[in-house]
Amino acid sequence: MNIASRVNNAIIEAVNVSRVFPMPAGPVMAVDDITLRIEHGEHTSIRGPSGCGKSTLLHMLGCVDTPSSGTLLFNGADVATLSDRQRSLVRLRQVGFVFQRFFLLPMLTAAENVELPQAEAGVSKPDRRRRTKELLDYVGLGARAGHRPSELSGGEMQRVAIARALANRPRLLLADEPTGELDRSTGEQIAALLDRVNADGTALVIVTHDQTLAERSRRILTMRDGRIEREESR
Amino acid sequence: MNPLGFAWRSLVRQPARASLGILGVAAVGALLFDMLLLSNGLLVSMRDIFDRAGFDLRVTATEALPGQGPRMQDATAAVDAIARLSNVRSVIAMRFAEALIETTATSRVRVSFQGVGGVGARPWDLVQGREAQGTRELLVNRDTAERLRLAPGSRVQVRASCSEEPESLPPAMFTVTGVADFPFDTSSSPTAVTTLEALGELCGLDAAGQADVIMVASREGATMAATAAQVSAAVPTLQVLTNEEMVGRIESGGFSYFRQISTVLTTVTLSFAVLLITVLLTVSVNQRLGEIAALRALGFTRGRVVADVLCESALIVGGGGLLSLPLGGLLAVGLDGILKNIPGIPEDVHFFVYQSRALGVHAGLLVATALAAALYPVRIVARLPIAATLRNEIVG
Ligand SMILES: Nc1ncnc2c1ncn2[C@@H]1O[C@H](COP(=O)(O)OP(=O)(O)O)[C@@H](O)[C@H]1O
Ligand SMILES: [Mg+2]
Repeated sequence: MNIASRVNNAIIEAVNVSRVFPMPAGPVMAVDDITLRIEHGEHTSIRGPSGCGKSTLLHMLGCVDTPSSGTLLFNGADVATLSDRQRSLVRLRQVGFVFQRFFLLPMLTAAENVELPQAEAGVSKPDRRRRTKELLDYVGLGARAGHRPSELSGGEMQRVAIARALANRPRLLLADEPTGELDRSTGEQIAALLDRVNADGTALVIVTHDQTLAERSRRILTMRDGRIEREESR
Repeated sequence: MNPLGFAWRSLVRQPARASLGILGVAAVGALLFDMLLLSNGLLVSMRDIFDRAGFDLRVTATEALPGQGPRMQDATAAVDAIARLSNVRSVIAMRFAEALIETTATSRVRVSFQGVGGVGARPWDLVQGREAQGTRELLVNRDTAERLRLAPGSRVQVRASCSEEPESLPPAMFTVTGVADFPFDTSSSPTAVTTLEALGELCGLDAAGQADVIMVASREGATMAATAAQVSAAVPTLQVLTNEEMVGRIESGGFSYFRQISTVLTTVTLSFAVLLITVLLTVSVNQRLGEIAALRALGFTRGRVVADVLCESALIVGGGGLLSLPLGGLLAVGLDGILKNIPGIPEDVHFFVYQSRALGVHAGLLVATALAAALYPVRIVARLPIAATLRNEIVG
């Protein structure tokens, strides 16, 4: 362990991070020199107009994309030095992802979707069963364990997706427009569920252009043109 | 859920696609299996007939196949010399000629006429009567017997022709002693057999003792190779061929057509299978890019998502491959029947013959097909940019 991880309590720390996409019409600076720390148990929202770089930043925080420049430290370890396999392992055990379009596997039941990352992490079958039941109860879908995604509503699918993201007890949950496909009241239920997840100890970073969702967070970052324009705490 | 279970679920999810793939592989696999049976079938079948005829060795004057080269001049002496060898159970000399057999002026048939001498078993199965022994006795095959309504005791007139050149030899009267099945009989090939001396006599004075081939059967416990060595030493001027060498000769003498055809068709067939599965897997993978990227974001390794695709390919090819065996078997029986209608093909010769080696090659080629077909979709999955794919799924 290096000094940085002992001194601070950050799960992930971005230092002067940029992400450039080289395009035929010229490079696109999606994230421009951002420095940011996400600490244990935080509740953070990133908001801003479409195309300002929110998703790109979130993907880097979740170790699915790597910065073009700058340093990204996950638990103090430089992500750039990790192999693809090691980054997969970090994502599997320490990060949970929730997507706008849920991305549940349609051929698996709700329970099987939640079991999947646990099986990949090598959790034994009885432990998996127990944890899955606990998680589905937690998101209020204990009675729907055997249902396929096609038999669930959008809000229910997103709740299964949240249960799946929590399956391996991550320290950090990343959600990209988690209410983007949902109506207002369903979106609020999901937001409430995410609040509860955070209250139970998981750090939360939500990307959204939805004002009311963003304002539930204690820390709100507003982005514009790849930069963090403003930071509010409440 | 392991990759195999996962792949199974993916297949079941799209039953139409899965069935298309499996049926495609089954059809291609059936053709492939038949091609493999065909490539060696004829030779295996001939080898089997040689072995069933009960003789291990063939002795000829030159390296030419029996009946296609010059005759041995002093076959009787050679037969005697070989008969004395400790490894030899039976030895016979055969001479091939043609003859016109007549019962009346209107009822006549041209036959393959063979003179056979020597000691021990004969390469045919007697079904009626007894062997021809005296100089004016004749054994006929069923076809000849049926055409001329012959039975043991029937009297026939025989006009032999002993060489390629047209000749007018005097006819002779023969008595039919029996009816037999010959190993290389076709459904329409009249054959008749007499003694070597009788044929020699018919063919003229200088022909006595001539033979096209001497066939040797080993005693129980003697190896073919050991007998071949003894025979070679006893008749050093003659050529000795084991059944295996004989099949090799036939093969190099032009029967490699089937192997060549089968190689070409196998290649075409397999390319088709690879294309079909590649297309099916690629379409399926492209439909699921978002899910795959999400799984990667959730911590599935690259190896794991690649294994999923490989397993899916293996399931399609494996399922189709299993189906292809009974299908190929039925097809082989049908095709064999068609090919055997070619005039002049002996009854017992088969073109499609089951060999366990063919089954092994079939399985091996299908495994290679599954791998080759997965190559492109695996590449897509392995190189999938996670962030860009997740983003495209939303924006697109
Ligand atoms: N994979 C990519 N290739 C090219 N350009 C990209 C890619 N990902 C994002 N961008 C560009 O980067 C900018 C930020 O995109 P994104 O992070 O998706 O914004 P947001 O999530 O805030 O809407 C946009 O201009 C977008 O076109
Ligand atoms: Mg976005």
